[in-house]
Amino acid sequence: MKFNDLFTGLLVLVLSGLVAAASWSLPNPSEQPLGPSAFPLILSGLLALCAAILAVNGARATQGGPLVGLADWARSGSALARLLLVPAAVIFYMLFAETLGFLICAPLILVVLFLAGGTRSLQAIGLSLAAALVIHSIFYLALGVQLPWGPLEPLRW
Amino acid sequence: MLDAYVTALGMVLDPYVLFVITASAIYGLIVGCIPGLSATMATALLVPLTFFMPPVPAIAAIVTTSTMAIFSGDIPGCLLRIPGTPASAAYVDDSYQMTLQGKPELALGIGLWFSVLGGLFGTAVMMVASPAIADFALGFGSVEFFWIVMLGLGGAVFIGSSTPLKACISLLIGLLIAMIGMNNPAGQPRFTMDSTEMLGGVSLIPMMVGMFACSEVMRHMVSDGSAPHAVVKKIGPIFANMWRLTKQYPWQLIRGSALGTIIGIQPGSGADMAAWMSYAMSKRFSKEPEKFGTGHPEGLIEAGASNNSSLAGAWIPALVFGIPGDSITAIAIGVLMMKNMAPGPTIFVNNPENVYAVFLVFVIANLLMLPLGWAIIKVATRVLSVPRRVLMPIILLFAIVGSYAINNSLFDVGVMLAFGVLAFILEENDFPVAPVILGVVLGPLLEEYFINSMIKSDGRLIGLVDRPIAAVLAAITIGIIGWTILASLKSGKASRQPAQG
Repeated sequence: MKFNDLFTGLLVLVLSGLVAAASWSLPNPSEQPLGPSAFPLILSGLLALCAAILAVNGARATQGGPLVGLADWARSGSALARLLLVPAAVIFYMLFAETLGFLICAPLILVVLFLAGGTRSLQAIGLSLAAALVIHSIFYLALGVQLPWGPLEPLRW
Repeated sequence: MLDAYVTALGMVLDPYVLFVITASAIYGLIVGCIPGLSATMATALLVPLTFFMPPVPAIAAIVTTSTMAIFSGDIPGCLLRIPGTPASAAYVDDSYQMTLQGKPELALGIGLWFSVLGGLFGTAVMMVASPAIADFALGFGSVEFFWIVMLGLGGAVFIGSSTPLKACISLLIGLLIAMIGMNNPAGQPRFTMDSTEMLGGVSLIPMMVGMFACSEVMRHMVSDGSAPHAVVKKIGPIFANMWRLTKQYPWQLIRGSALGTIIGIQPGSGADMAAWMSYAMSKRFSKEPEKFGTGHPEGLIEAGASNNSSLAGAWIPALVFGIPGDSITAIAIGVLMMKNMAPGPTIFVNNPENVYAVFLVFVIANLLMLPLGWAIIKVATRVLSVPRRVLMPIILLFAIVGSYAINNSLFDVGVMLAFGVLAFILEENDFPVAPVILGVVLGPLLEEYFINSMIKSDGRLIGLVDRPIAAVLAAITIGIIGWTILASLKSGKASRQPAQG
């Protein structure tokens, strides 16, 4: 997803406005001349200035062209789907790690990603189990990180 | 000082530390050698593991990994014409030509041998210069430090970037992210959106892992992930001609190492710029410039030494002032801070043995590069054939667990994802990512120095420049920024004129 500089500039301009508004309302309990809002206000001002220059440059370069262009990969449905698998995998882990446990979640994520990348199914299953066990050993056995066990709790080693 | 060095030597020669150094050396060599996996990503992925180590092995792991990865980036450049790291891109034509001429061992040997010599040169300068600069800096107050941080940030954005305006926006976004949490002069919750997890600010480790690893996995997902094939199957004796070349091109070696160290010290310009500038300089002063790009060793020697010497150079401002020269030293500073070894001139007074241990790790890492570098070159063609479609999902899982491991918190996994997506979108739109990290690492310091300086001067801006050293630093910073703005305006005009004509 490639945005035009005009679009990005306007987006950042809105962002700097939001930051300025949020900074303005910060209380200053210490009664010093510069409270917690001073520095963020300066930064949002500078950000707004840069964003405005970017937008103006972008407007000159585009001259009526589309605001949002699509990279080659974004036109291909399969590439887009593969890309979305990454956040989906992380969110899946966040939602289900506690209930399913690491040793079930991790191989599931890996199998899906391997298959999406074109790895053959048997190889994908074998690699997923091996990689999950190795990463589990590094963090759980070597570093003492408490990875969730889920229904495999009785097997905890 | 000698006592501190003896203590440091004891710390470094501890079997556990030596094991960490060797393991991270092998790791750095392998990751740097695989195209598409950068030295920065290798370092970022290692950070969650260093969290569980004492300070010296943690820093040793970072130093060794980055040193090795910068060298081994030369390997795919030579064998596949795909530089493993941007720092190897400057001389990829020469090294690949050598491979095509049937001499891959010569190109790889030069890469290894002169990287080691350049790295040792930079380390020697670092060992001599940093304590002296730190001694000088002990008299600095908040105003001087404010300008030093500004100089570091200004350098990073305006020297090291091809798109200063976008780098500036990246930096400001990073600085604003650093404002999140209660870590501000008034101790007020800021931009936390009433979330208790955000009160401590954005956790550095999940952020860095997300920006450098998760975003890389996303980029891989939209690209063709097949492994490229190397043109050679067998690599001959590597060190055969090295002594002859050292005697033939001693001046190139010294010039490359010296320029690399200086570029490394300068904030914002790292190994990439060192390699490009040294290659250009080598060609400019060469008696046979027409041979450059055709498999000629001269530029390879100078630039190969230069990019490794710049790594040690970048550590000088990092250790003395806490100003990272590039994204790798930014990560290293984050690790130092976590280990209660906040860099700055006082670290040389309070924990000299820890700093000297860092110096010694540099020496060991560079020496260890000879045997391990030789070994990785021997198995390089096999490492290069590992498909990225297998590696990338494993890297994602590692990133998830690494982010979770620090606080046993799934919130941090979310932080990792959010920053991964942010980095992906930024890079897709040509915004550099390193300034965001610099902003987040240096934001709290910059605010603290600014507010303290303002309080001391009763809120008058003249207080920022009324001490001589502060005034000089201010002039340099404003000079760099002004010069870049003028240069970009000039080039903008120049590029518009032909269009109008």
